[in-house]
Amino acid sequence: MSDFNPTSIYFILAESLGIWLWVLAGLAVVLGAGIVAGIMRLRAAGRPARRPTMAALIAGAIATAIFIPLVPMWTLTDINALQAPVDYLFAVLIALVPGCATGAGIFFLAARKCAARDSTITGSV
Amino acid sequence: MERRRFLIGAAALATVGLGAEAARAYTSDSRAHVVIAGAGAAGLSLASRLRRAMPNATITIVDARKEHYFQPGFTLIGAGVWSPADVTERTLDYMPRGVEWIEAAVAEFDPEANAVVTATGQRIGYDFLMVATGLKLNYEAIGGMDVSLIGRDGIASIYAGPAQAQASAAAIDRFIETGGVGLFGRPATEMKCAGAPLKITFITDDKARSKGRRGAVELIYNAHNQAVFSVAPVNAKVRELFAARDIAVNYNHVLKTIDPGAKRATYAGENGDVTLDYDFIHVVPPMRAPDAVLSSPLPWQDGALAADGWIEADKATLRHPRYPNVFAVGDIAGVPRGKTAASVKWQVPVVVDNLVAETAGRAPQAIYNGYTSCPMVTGIGRAMLVEFDYDGNLTPSFPFIDPLKELWVSWLIEEKGLHGAYRAMLRGRA
Repeated sequence: MSDFNPTSIYFILAESLGIWLWVLAGLAVVLGAGIVAGIMRLRAAGRPARRPTMAALIAGAIATAIFIPLVPMWTLTDINALQAPVDYLFAVLIALVPGCATGAGIFFLAARKCAARDSTITGSV
Repeated sequence: MERRRFLIGAAALATVGLGAEAARAYTSDSRAHVVIAGAGAAGLSLASRLRRAMPNATITIVDARKEHYFQPGFTLIGAGVWSPADVTERTLDYMPRGVEWIEAAVAEFDPEANAVVTATGQRIGYDFLMVATGLKLNYEAIGGMDVSLIGRDGIASIYAGPAQAQASAAAIDRFIETGGVGLFGRPATEMKCAGAPLKITFITDDKARSKGRRGAVELIYNAHNQAVFSVAPVNAKVRELFAARDIAVNYNHVLKTIDPGAKRATYAGENGDVTLDYDFIHVVPPMRAPDAVLSSPLPWQDGALAADGWIEADKATLRHPRYPNVFAVGDIAGVPRGKTAASVKWQVPVVVDNLVAETAGRAPQAIYNGYTSCPMVTGIGRAMLVEFDYDGNLTPSFPFIDPLKELWVSWLIEEKGLHGAYRAMLRGRA
C-alpha cells in the first residue's frame, strides 16, 4: 500500500479509464455545481433542504441498489461472483458512483422545484 | 498524443502537493550513455524513468518489436473473456520522448568491450547496459511440439501470443463440448508467470461446470516437482482447491514429447517416462535466455540458473557481479523469483535509483526484495491476489484482501485494475 500515493493512483486511473476519467471528473464538477446551486436557491427562497435531501438520498439509494448487480457484469461476470463481505463492499462502493450522480441530479431538480413552489406561494400572497 | 500528455501533466501538477513522496525523485546530471536491450515491460519502464531521472544522459533502446503485448492478459484471452485487441499496443506509444530507439534485435553482447551489436550489424557502445530482453519460449524443446499446432488437435498454449491464446480459448471450448481427458502442467525450467498453468486449469474446470459438462471432462495437472506452486501456503491452498474440484495431480511429471496425431503426451517421471493419452493438452514451453544472451559471457557460469542462460545478477540490486556496469531486469534476470510484470514494477525503480545515485556521486541504497505477484484466477469472476517475496513470505498490498481467499475483488483488480497499472508502469509513473 505504501507505493500507492495520489500521483501514482492518478496515473493508474488515467491509464485505466482514459478519456472517461475526464468525463467523470467533468460530471462530478457539474453535479457539484448543481448541488451548490440547489442549496443557494433554497436559501434564497427561505426553504429548508430536508425534502430535496430526502428525495436525493432515496433516489441515490435506489440507483445504487440497481447498479450493485450490474457491477459484476461490468467485470464480465455475474452477481454470484460476489462471495465475501469485501466483495459486496467494493460492489457497493462502485455502485455508489452512479448512485451519487443520481442523488445529486435529483437534489438539484427537487431543490429547484421546492424553491420555485415557495416563490409561487410567496408571489400569490 | 500531445493532448494526452498535456492532460496527464496538468493533473500531475494538480496532485503534486499530495504526492510529495513520489515527486521527490532524485536526478543525476550524468552524461552517460545508457543502452537498454529490449523494449518490453522492463525496457520501456526503464527508459521512461531514466529519461526523467537522468536528463542529460544519452539513452538508447534496442529492440525490433513494433508491437507490445500486455502479457498478463493472455490468461483472460485464454479464458475467452478478452480478445487479442485488448492486449495489443504499439511499442511507439510508450517510447519516451528523448530516447533513441534502434529498431533492430540485439544479436551480440560484448561486455568486455562495453558494446552490443544488432542483427543489422550496428555496434553500439555504452557506459551502462540494462539487459531487458525477456526470455525465449522454447517450444522446440518439447518433441513433436510446434507453435503452429496451437489451436489444432486439442493443443492449447496461452503463452505464445494473443492469437495463440485466442486459439487456446477455442480449443478449451471444443474440449468441453466433446469431453475427454485434459492435461495441464508446467516446465521444469524457470518460467514467467508460474501461476498461469494453474489458472488455465481452474478456468477450464469453471467453464466446464458453468456449461454443465464437468462430468464429461477429466482434468489432470502434471506438476514438475512435488508441489503445484513454490510458495508453501499457496501450494497448500491450490491443492485443496484442486481436490475440491476433482482435478487430479501427478507430481514429478515434466512434458518431454507429444504426438499430436495419436494425442499422446510423454512425461519424464520419477521412475522413467510416463505416456498419457489426452483429448486436450495445455502446453507450457520450457523457457530460457534468448540466443544472444545465451552465447554471451553474461549468464551465470554455474549453479541452477546457468543451464538456461539467465543473467548473473545480485538478487538485491540486479547488478552483474562480473560486469558492474551491466544490470539485468525482468524475465532475463537470474534471480530466484520474479518473472512477472509485478516484479518489473519493483525492480525498475531499484535499478534506476541506484544508477542515479551512483552517477550523482551518492551511495546506491535501493534494494529489491523479490516482490512478485500472481493474481491466481480460480474461475471466471474470482481470484486470489497472491503476492510474495524471495523468501516465499506472503506480502499482501491490501490489508482488506486475504491472499488465500477466492474473491471477486481480486478478480476486479485482475480484470479492471492491472492493465492501467501496467501502462502507468511503462510510462514510469507507477
